[in-house]
Amino acid sequence: MRVVLAEDLYLLRSGLERLLEAHGFNVIAAVDNAADLLTALVDEKPDVAIVDVRLPPTFTDEGLRAAIEGRRQVPGLPVLVLSQYVEQLYARELLADQAGAVGYLLKDRVFNDDQFTDAIRAVAGGGTVMDPEVIAKLMTRRQRDEPVTRLSAREREVLDLMAEGRSNSAIAQRLFISEKAVGKHSTSIFAKLNLAPSEDDNRRVLAVLAYLNQ
Amino acid sequence: MSGMAFLGLLVVFTIFVLVAQRVVLRLWRRMREQGAGALAIRLHRPRDIRWGAALLPVTIGFLVLAGTYGITNVDGTGSGNLFSAKSIPGDLFYTLLVLAAVTLYTLVQPRRAGYLAAAGLAGIGAWVLFQALVFPHYAYDYEWYGWLRDQLYFPELVLVAAACLTGGFFLTRRTIVADVRARRSGLTAQVERLARTRADAVDSAAAELRRLERDLHDGAQARLVALGINLRTAEKLIEVSPTAAAALVADCRNTATLALSELRDLVRGIYPPVLADRGLGDAIRALALDCPVLTLTDIQLPGRPPAPVESAVYFAVAEALSNAAKHAEAKTILIRATHERGMLRVQIDDDGVGGADPASGTGLAGMEQRLGAFDGILAVSSPAGGPTIVVIEVPCALSSLKTSTS
Repeated sequence: MRVVLAEDLYLLRSGLERLLEAHGFNVIAAVDNAADLLTALVDEKPDVAIVDVRLPPTFTDEGLRAAIEGRRQVPGLPVLVLSQYVEQLYARELLADQAGAVGYLLKDRVFNDDQFTDAIRAVAGGGTVMDPEVIAKLMTRRQRDEPVTRLSAREREVLDLMAEGRSNSAIAQRLFISEKAVGKHSTSIFAKLNLAPSEDDNRRVLAVLAYLNQ
Repeated sequence: MSGMAFLGLLVVFTIFVLVAQRVVLRLWRRMREQGAGALAIRLHRPRDIRWGAALLPVTIGFLVLAGTYGITNVDGTGSGNLFSAKSIPGDLFYTLLVLAAVTLYTLVQPRRAGYLAAAGLAGIGAWVLFQALVFPHYAYDYEWYGWLRDQLYFPELVLVAAACLTGGFFLTRRTIVADVRARRSGLTAQVERLARTRADAVDSAAAELRRLERDLHDGAQARLVALGINLRTAEKLIEVSPTAAAALVADCRNTATLALSELRDLVRGIYPPVLADRGLGDAIRALALDCPVLTLTDIQLPGRPPAPVESAVYFAVAEALSNAAKHAEAKTILIRATHERGMLRVQIDDDGVGGADPASGTGLAGMEQRLGAFDGILAVSSPAGGPTIVVIEVPCALSSLKTSTS
């Protein structure tokens, strides 16, 4: 899998490069600024890009802007954005084009390399991956709303994991229940939230996020 | 037209041009700052106009005097002075022109007109006194002293001079002296306020640094120490008991995650990253999104305030939002932010139960102190039963936004 990596701190960049290559990814470009990132995204069209939000020259949200611009020029280009902190505002901007194939994670998630590489593969496959912290903030906002209060505790757990972008099998594994039970829960959640049911994992995640983001 | 009449016209015309230039310049500057609103007529305070209006009678007095004494008499017949055009209508024309210019100036610059009136009155008094004292004995010998000299005797002249001088003195006290005093006491008050707010700012900055030091010491720093110890132990265990070592290393990873999350919270408290990245507008939008209560925003900020102002206003808004969510049981919050006439204004309305008292809680009072350092204010209206309205105002200029918005 061809990966473009954008991270300005040398230590983190080389660490991530080593980690990715150890897991069989092919890092075709590792850049340290937004201009190079955009060039790499448009010229190389990688299978997935892993981008730090804060990059030179302004050290603000250059990486995020470059990623969004890259996706504008190459629609559906898979991008996984990493950051020291997560903001719902940025999550919204990434999700705005409704094209999927985006991820937004705290840098700490890299510590758990298996989950991290799963997330990379999910994004590369067109999926959506959101950091649990983003979902937790979304849920605090919605927890007083009437449709959400009708969900059972188990359904809430399934909704959280679904919003983070996990597949049915991953949710089943995490909650120690069968995949069939997850399917039943998700049908019930969609009915209670008045969402159109969908068999497609990606579309389901986007529907849940759109609902929570209202 | 005589040379003197031409000179008079030139003087009057020059005054006109200068006044008109000032008016146009000022209007243009105001329009650049405030847009079309600048065209609305701005009325001066009646008190200012009152003293300024004294310029009109003083000018008339000066004209009479000039005509009477023939200040610039050239041909000895009294017909060639400064304001004469050798005919009654010509005289009238220039006189009216001067009076119109004086009236215009009084309306545009009433305070300055007041100063001029005071100086003019005193000048007339001094001139009459000078005439009375220096030339009393030649009163009937020289024609060019004019009509007034022929009519009045020494005591009357001194009386007129004394009246003018008293009036000038009185006007000076009411205009120039009063303004200088007001300015001085305004400056004194401002110095006192600045000294107080600076002390507040230094105090709160010091308290903030102590809190940071403690948080770092007890949090991230302690975790890093634990991390080092555990890694060293794992290093020793790796040969003897690989399973125990692996467990210890996994523990280290957890500790690193915790340390990171603590540092993140700490950084958020010092200078929120989204504020650094996007500025006040988006930072307020991010706060609204994170707020557990439904929060709507209407933000009209064409640029970024200076960084310290941005951060003070951000934390004040954050405090107001958390109050509304925690104590007011609000269902909806509305945040409006504007920048008009050099004033940044943020208003936070909620539909909660009200009854918030900025004096009782330390939160809002602290924010008020912090805003005070920038001459800003924080006002709270929160009657029991609601609604609560919090207004933050800080005078500041906006710098233009970065151009790379996508």
